Amino acid sequence: MPQAVANLDKMDEHLKTIVQALYGAVKQGIPHVKEPPIVDKAIADCKEILDEVMAGNVKEWLN
Amino acid sequence: MFTDKIELKDFDKMDPEYKDLLGHVLTIQADCEIGGPHLYVETMLPAAPTKLDQLIVARTAAEEIDHFRKVARVAGDIGVDVSFVLSQPNEKRFVDAFRGSITTWEDNSVFGFLIDRIGRYQLEEFYDCSYLPLQRILPDIVTEELGHIEYGYNKTLELIQSGDEGKARAQKAVDYWYVRALDMFGRADSKKSERYRHWGLKRRTNQQAREDYMNEVGPILTQMGLKVPDPNKGRRYM
Repeated sequence: MPQAVANLDKMDEHLKTIVQALYGAVKQGIPHVKEPPIVDKAIADCKEILDEVMAGNVKEWLN
Repeated sequence: MFTDKIELKDFDKMDPEYKDLLGHVLTIQADCEIGGPHLYVETMLPAAPTKLDQLIVARTAAEEIDHFRKVARVAGDIGVDVSFVLSQPNEKRFVDAFRGSITTWEDNSVFGFLIDRIGRYQLEEFYDCSYLPLQRILPDIVTEELGHIEYGYNKTLELIQSGDEGKARAQKAVDYWYVRALDMFGRADSKKSERYRHWGLKRRTNQQAREDYMNEVGPILTQMGLKVPDPNKGRRYM
C-alpha cells in the first residue's frame, strides 16, 4: 500500500465538518428567505464559515 | 493501451509514469474544485440579487469544497498532498479560468452555465477509468455539477429575458467565458493527453472533448437567443 499523506484523516474530518455546517446554515435560511432576521443570520453564518475556508489556514485546522 | 482496473492496494506496483499522471490530474482537479469558490465567494455571496441566490452561492461553494475533499482523499491515499491549493492565490491556479475574480452577477451565472459544464466534461473523462477509487467518487460529484450548470443556465436565461440590457450583459459574459472554456481542454496536439489515454485515465483526446462541448453548447446558446462566439478568437491553447 502507498504511504498516505500525513494528517489526511484530520483534514478530511475538518472539511466534512465545514461542509455540514454550511449545509446546515443554508437549510436554516432557505425556508425563511422572506424573513430578514432569520435569513440574514443564515447568510452571516455561511459567510463566517466560508471565510475560514477561503483563508485556507490548513496548519491551523490540523492543530 | 492499458485496460486493467487498479485499486489502491495495486498502486505501488504501477509504472512511475502512471503514478505521476494520476497524481498530476488529481492535483489539477482539486485545484479546480476549490478554485471556483475562490473566484466568487467573496464578491458574490454579498452581491447576489436575492437572499435565496445568496444561499445558493453558499450551497454551491459547500458542494465544491466537498468535491475538493473527495479528490484530496483519493490523492492523499496515494501520497499526493493537494492541501497547498487551499491557500494558493488565484493567480497561481493551474487553469487560466480560475485566475482572477468574478465581480458581476452575469459572470457568476455564465460561469456556472459554461465553466461548471467543463467540470462535468473533465469528470466524465474519468468514467470507467483505470483507477477505481477515482471512479467511485464521480457519481455524486457529477450530479452536483449538473445542478450548478442548470442554476447557471436558469440565471443566464433570466438575465436575457429581463430585456435588451440584460441580454447584452449575458452576451458579454458568454463572449468572455466561452473562449476560456474552450482553452480549458488544453492543446489539440498534447502529448500528455495521449499518455492519459494510454493509461486508461482519460477517454477522449483534448480536441474530441472540446468538439463535443462546442456541439453541445452552441445550440443551447442559439436557443437562448445569444450568438455563439468565434471559437478561435482570443484562444491561448489551440
